[in-house]
Amino acid sequence: MNARIFAVELADELRGIVREPTALFFSIIMPVGFFTLFASIFGGGNPGMLATFGTFGVLGVALMNPGVRIAQDRELGWLRAKRVSAVPIGVTLAAKVAAVLPYAIGVLLAMTAAAGLTGSLTASPVQVARLIAVLLLGALPFALLGLAVGFQAGSNAAVAILNAILMPMSVLSGLWMPLAILPAFFGTVAPFLPTYHLAAIATAQLAGGPVVGHALVLLGMTVVTGALAAVSYRHARP
Amino acid sequence: MTSPHYSTRAPEASVGTMKTVLEVRGARHRYGDKVALDGVDLRVDEGECVALLGPNGAGKTTLVNMIVGLLARQGGEVAILGGDPRNAATRRALGVVQQSLGFPSTLKVRELVVGAAVRGGLPRTAAGPVLAELELTELADRRVSKLSGGQKQRVQLAMALVTNPALLVLDEPTAGLDALSRRRFWHLLAQRRAQGTGVLVTTHLIEESAAVADRVVVLSGGRVVGEGTPDELVALLPDRTVIATTKLDDVRLRALPGVLSLSRGDGLVRLRTSAPEALLRVLLVEDPTLSDLRVEHAGLEEAVISLGVAA
Repeated sequence: MNARIFAVELADELRGIVREPTALFFSIIMPVGFFTLFASIFGGGNPGMLATFGTFGVLGVALMNPGVRIAQDRELGWLRAKRVSAVPIGVTLAAKVAAVLPYAIGVLLAMTAAAGLTGSLTASPVQVARLIAVLLLGALPFALLGLAVGFQAGSNAAVAILNAILMPMSVLSGLWMPLAILPAFFGTVAPFLPTYHLAAIATAQLAGGPVVGHALVLLGMTVVTGALAAVSYRHARP
Repeated sequence: MTSPHYSTRAPEASVGTMKTVLEVRGARHRYGDKVALDGVDLRVDEGECVALLGPNGAGKTTLVNMIVGLLARQGGEVAILGGDPRNAATRRALGVVQQSLGFPSTLKVRELVVGAAVRGGLPRTAAGPVLAELELTELADRRVSKLSGGQKQRVQLAMALVTNPALLVLDEPTAGLDALSRRRFWHLLAQRRAQGTGVLVTTHLIEESAAVADRVVVLSGGRVVGEGTPDELVALLPDRTVIATTKLDDVRLRALPGVLSLSRGDGLVRLRTSAPEALLRVLLVEDPTLSDLRVEHAGLEEAVISLGVAA
C-alpha cells in the first residue's frame, strides 16, 4: 500500500524535474563547470578532486532540492493537502528525498565524464561506483537539514538560508580547493564541519584512507538533523 | 452539468437511520493565553450539510484543523466514523476542499486525480468516472497551471470525491467562483450528499450557506452560540425589514420607532427595525400615500451577526 503511494509521490516529484529542466542547470551544469575550471587550475590528476567536487555537487542538490520543494509546497497549500490526505507524511518526505537521486547520479556521472574528457580521470569504474554509493548515502543528513529549513522558511528564504549553509561549509571543508593549499585556519576548522567528513569518506573511495570515524560523525549528524526535521515539521504552520 | 437549473439541496433522507460521520465533543484548544475553542460540540450525519459560521477569530479555523487532523487536541474528542483523524487510515474517510489551493505547476489534471485515488487506496482507474462527473475529461491531459480558477476548484473537488469520502470538509469552497459555477458546485455536492456523504462547510457567504445547509452552527469566542436550521436561526431574531414606497425623507424615516438601518433602491425604501409593529403604525399615519408595503424577516446574515455580537 505505502509502496504504491510512494511510487505516485516519487513520480510527481520526477515529473517536476523532467517538465522543468531549467533546474538541471544549477544542479548539474554549474557544479560540473566549476569542477572542470578548478581541475584545470589545480591539476585534474589529483584523484581527490573528483571526490571533493562530487561531494559539493551532491550536497548542492541534497541540501537544496527537498528543502526548497517542501517550502514551495507549503506556500501553495499543497503540503497541507498532503497532510489531510490518507498519506503518511513520512512517505511524502521520503519521495522528496528520493527524488534527489537522479540529480545526484547525474551530477556525478557528468563530472566523471568531464574528468575523462579532460584526461584527468584516474579512478576505475568500480571506484566511481563506490564514490556514487557513499555520496548518495552520506547526503541523507543534509537532505534532512534541508527539510528542517523548508518546514519553516518561505521558498525564497529557504534558497538563501541553504546557500548560506552550503557555500561557506564547502569552502571551509576544502571542497573547492584542496586544504593543503589553503591557509592553516581552514584545516583547523574543517574537521568540525560535516561536509569535511563526507568528502573524506568520498576521497577514501578513490585514494584510500580511514572512513569509520567520519562515518560515525555523519551518523550522529543524521540523528540530529532527523530530530531537527521532526521538530520543525511539528511546528510548521498547517 | 449542462442544464442551468441546478438543485443545491439533497433529497430528504429518512431521519432515524442516519449514521454520524463526524462527532466533536467538548473540543478545547488554546494558543498560549488565548482560548480558541472552549468546549465545542459538533455533529454531521451522513448526507447532511452543516455550515460552520462565525466572525473572524471565532475558532472556525482551529476547529477545522482539528477535524482534518492537522492540529493535536488539547481536550475533547474528534471522531470521523469513530476514528481519530490524526491517523492516516481514518483520513481515507475524509475529503477536503481548501480555499484557493495551489497545485504544483508541473502536474496534469489526470495525474492529480489518479494520485488522489491511489493515495486513498483505490486503483488508478477510479479517477475516470470522477473526471467525467466533474466534466474534466477533456481537460485531463492539461497542466493544472493552465486552468481557470473555477476549473481548478473542480479539480480539487474531484481529488476530494474520488475516494467517495464519508465526510467532506469545505473551506470557503466557492470563493472567487461566479454565480453559475457556484450553483454547479453545490449541485454536484447535492448528488453526493444524496449518496450519503456528509458535508461540513465554512464560508463567509452566509446567504449561500442558508441555501445549501441543512443545519447552521454559529461559533463565537470559541463556543457554539447558535445552532439550528437556517429558518430556525432567522426566527430567533426579532428584527424585520419593512419595505415600501414613501414620500417621507431619510431624516424623518430614521426617527421612526426601532429603525436600525435604512437603504433605498428601485424606488423602494428598506427599513430594518427591531420594533416592526410600532414602526408600521406610525408609518401608516405619517404617510397616507404609502404603497408597495411588505414586511420581511431579516436574513441569516443578520441572525448570525446578531448571535456573534450577543455572545
